[in-house]
This record gives sequence, structure tokens and C-alpha cells, in this order.
Amino acid sequence: MLRSSVALTILVSLLPLAALVFLGVESIGTDWRVLLSDETWRDSLFTTFYVVSVSTVLSLILGTWFARTVVKKGWHLTSTILKIPMFVPHIAAAYLFWLLFSGSGGIGWIEANERNYATVILTYIWKETPFVFLMMLGTYEQLNRSYVETAKTLQLSPLDQFKHGELPFLIKPLLDSTWILVAFISFAYEVPALLGVTYPKLLGVLAYERLSTGLYLEATEPYAVALVWTCLVGIGVFTTYFFTASVRRRIERGVRR
Amino acid sequence: MIRQVLIISLVLIPFVSLFLAIPAIEFENREAIFHSIGLIVLLSAINVWLATAFAWWLLWTESKWRYILEWLVFLPLFIPMLATLFGLYLILAEAGLIGTYIGVSLGLLVVTLPYSIRLAYNGMAVIGRPLLEQARLLPMRRRFVYVLFPLFSRTMRTIALFTTVILLSQFALIQLIGAGLIPTVTTELYQSYAGNNLSLALSNTWMLIFFPVLIYFLLSGWSRWMVRMLKGRLQ
Repeated sequence: MLRSSVALTILVSLLPLAALVFLGVESIGTDWRVLLSDETWRDSLFTTFYVVSVSTVLSLILGTWFARTVVKKGWHLTSTILKIPMFVPHIAAAYLFWLLFSGSGGIGWIEANERNYATVILTYIWKETPFVFLMMLGTYEQLNRSYVETAKTLQLSPLDQFKHGELPFLIKPLLDSTWILVAFISFAYEVPALLGVTYPKLLGVLAYERLSTGLYLEATEPYAVALVWTCLVGIGVFTTYFFTASVRRRIERGVRR
Repeated sequence: MIRQVLIISLVLIPFVSLFLAIPAIEFENREAIFHSIGLIVLLSAINVWLATAFAWWLLWTESKWRYILEWLVFLPLFIPMLATLFGLYLILAEAGLIGTYIGVSLGLLVVTLPYSIRLAYNGMAVIGRPLLEQARLLPMRRRFVYVLFPLFSRTMRTIALFTTVILLSQFALIQLIGAGLIPTVTTELYQSYAGNNLSLALSNTWMLIFFPVLIYFLLSGWSRWMVRMLKGRLQ
């Protein structure tokens, strides 16, 4: 029973990798020169970079800061409330923000759908900060405070105390959170489709619409774009994990000791 | 205190939108609700089963393949969801599963399972090997009912909750793999979001938020009742 369950899990986990192989095969007929010079895709790529970096960086900073403060001050109620947005589906969160910023009855400080993608970024920050918070909370709860105390005794500045007493232990959950968020936000449809604008669209929206619209049904570009974007994320994951491997290993050994 | 109030307000402000208009009390497509409930129950059960089994295996195995398999099951977390969806669409089209309930279920399982395994793995690590060591002597069923379930029920609830939220967030996956033939609450709701019917869209938003809350309370009640019953049986 256990073995068959494990085998089934491995089979299901192999499907995304098989999906990438199928993407590769389907992308074979793509004219890469045309794809790279297509202004619509290029603008989408730059907008996606902008939305992903702002949403991810702000979610990471806020999530880490909340976890640090909640553990330090023992804010139990805040800790519970901070987790609530995680259990709201993305599409419902997007609609809540649309209502909040749309002209009819909402706050109306900014337009619900505007070119700077502010509402998309706000929705992602609201949804993903609790995720980062949860990832960091476990680490902060187990953190050995004596490193920070030593840094304090040595009269280091608050920034240096954080850099030497906390940051090394946060590398692993920060890396995990960063790449999970990048993969999740960068190539999604639901939130940017509802809150985005018609031009420039985010990569996921453009690719999905080109794939599902009758006009482009024969096109291979969406598959090629999906593959290229996955490779870019994959290179990022590999590089960052590779270059931090020795630090992470040293910290794991130190913690175990 | 002021900082706490500020953080709590910022988290709760978006929920104000729910009260900006009166939601319509009408559910036009009952089939969509039944499909959604069916998928939530089915996928939550499969996710809990596979994730718990795999996390248990990871905890005890001494296989030389352990690290490779661990990476393999967590790797899909780093693959953009739409890229997985496009590739799955090609695979399922080859298998003739586009527009079927099985195809949609499989697609949803692929996107939810890595998160479930991660949760189960962390949950198992928190319980720790020493506490579970003795349970290994028990037969499978007794081990699960008397040891694993009481200790692990909160993680199981979180897995079911995460599965529900991810499932209810999926429009593109269900629309593409279901070929528009498998309506769920989300696909139906997206039409009302895209349209201008504010009160209908709002009632749909209420429903999307209500489903996870309902799952949370149902599972909490059930797990508390089960643990109390098991304790009674052991006394």
C-alpha cells in the first residue's frame, strides 16, 4: 500500500517534467527571430519582469518583517489574522481589489485597471505576504537568539545584527519563497486578466489568450514562450541554490550541532 | 499597539468590498456547484492520502534515491503553473482526456500535490521520528487511526484547505483542459466577473470565500470529534 502510494506520487510528480518535454517538442516549429522581434511579446516580457520583481520583493520584505515582529513581540492575534488572506482564492482576492479601487462605491484612489498594474501588484502582495510570513515564522520560532545577543554585545548596528545573527538562517526559506513566488506570479492568468489592461498584457495572459483564441490556434509561440520562461526560472533556481549550497550546508550542520 | 492595529486593518481592508453592494441570492448553475464540491472532496482526499504516504516514506527511508525523489516531488513548485498547464494540455490531448472529468482532476492533482507534500513533510518533521517510532510496530490501519490521525489531523486539515483554495483559484486550467465542458464555480464566476453584473459577481465572491471557511470548520469539527472518540475507545 505504502509503496504503491509512493510510486503513484512519483508518477504524478513526473507529469510536469513530461509536460516540459511536450512543450519542447511543440515549440520546434517556432520562428524564434519573429518571436524575439515581436513588440507585443517584448512589452509583455518587460511588464512581467516589473510586476514580478515588485510583488516578490515587497512580499518577501513584508512577510519577513511581520514574522520577525510577531515572534519578537508575541502577537498571537496578529499572527492568526495575517494568515487569513492565504485562504481566499486568488480570483476572489482580485475581485475584492477591483471593487475596492473601481469608481462605483470603491475607494477610487487609483483605477482598478491601469497601465502600471498597481492593483495586480497590491493583490499579489496581499495574497503572498502571508505565505512568506508562514515560511519565515517557523524559522524565526526556532532561531537561536544567542547569535543576535552576541551581535548586540559586540555593539553592532541593528542592520549588522540582522545581517550576522538572523540572515544566514533565513537563506533557505527566503530562497524557497522567492522562487515559488516568481514561478507562481510570473506566468499566471486569473489575477492579471481581471485587473490588467489590454496592452501590454502580462506574459501568462497573452500566452493563454493566444493559445485559446481561435485566431491563433495553430500558433506555436505560446508553447515556446512558456518553455523559455520556465528555462529562465529554472536557471535562476539552479544558480541561486548552487551558489548558496555551501553556506546552507554549513548552517544546517551548525544548527544540528 | 498602534502598529498591530495598522497591520490588522491593512489585512482586513479588502474584505470591506464584500459589503459595498448587496449580493444577488441566486445560483444559476447548480451543476457547477456540484462539480466544484465533487472536485474538492475527491482532490482533498487524494492529496491527503498521497502526501501523507510520501511524507511518511521520506521520514523513514534509507534509500539512496531519497534526495533525488525529494527534489523531484518539490521541483514542480518552481515550474510556472501555466507552463505546466500548456504541457499537460498537450499530454492529455494525446491521451484523449481533454473535456473529461478525469483530465481536469489529473490536472488539478498535478498543481496541488507539490504543495500538499511540502505541508505533510513539514508536519511530519514537527512531530518528529521519536514520537512516531513506536507506531511503526502497529499494523497499517491501527497505526493510521490511533497514532497518525490524532497527531496529524491539523496538517491534514491544512492540506485540504490549501487544495480547496488552489482548486477554486483555477480558471485557465479548468477551462483549457475541461474544454469548457466541466463548469465549476470558478469558471461560472469568471463570466460574471468579466461582465457588469456587480451583485451576481459579489455573490459569487462570497461563495468562493465561503467554501474554504466551510471546509475549515467542517474538518475542525470532524477531527475534534474523531480524536475524542478515539480517546474514549482507548480508555
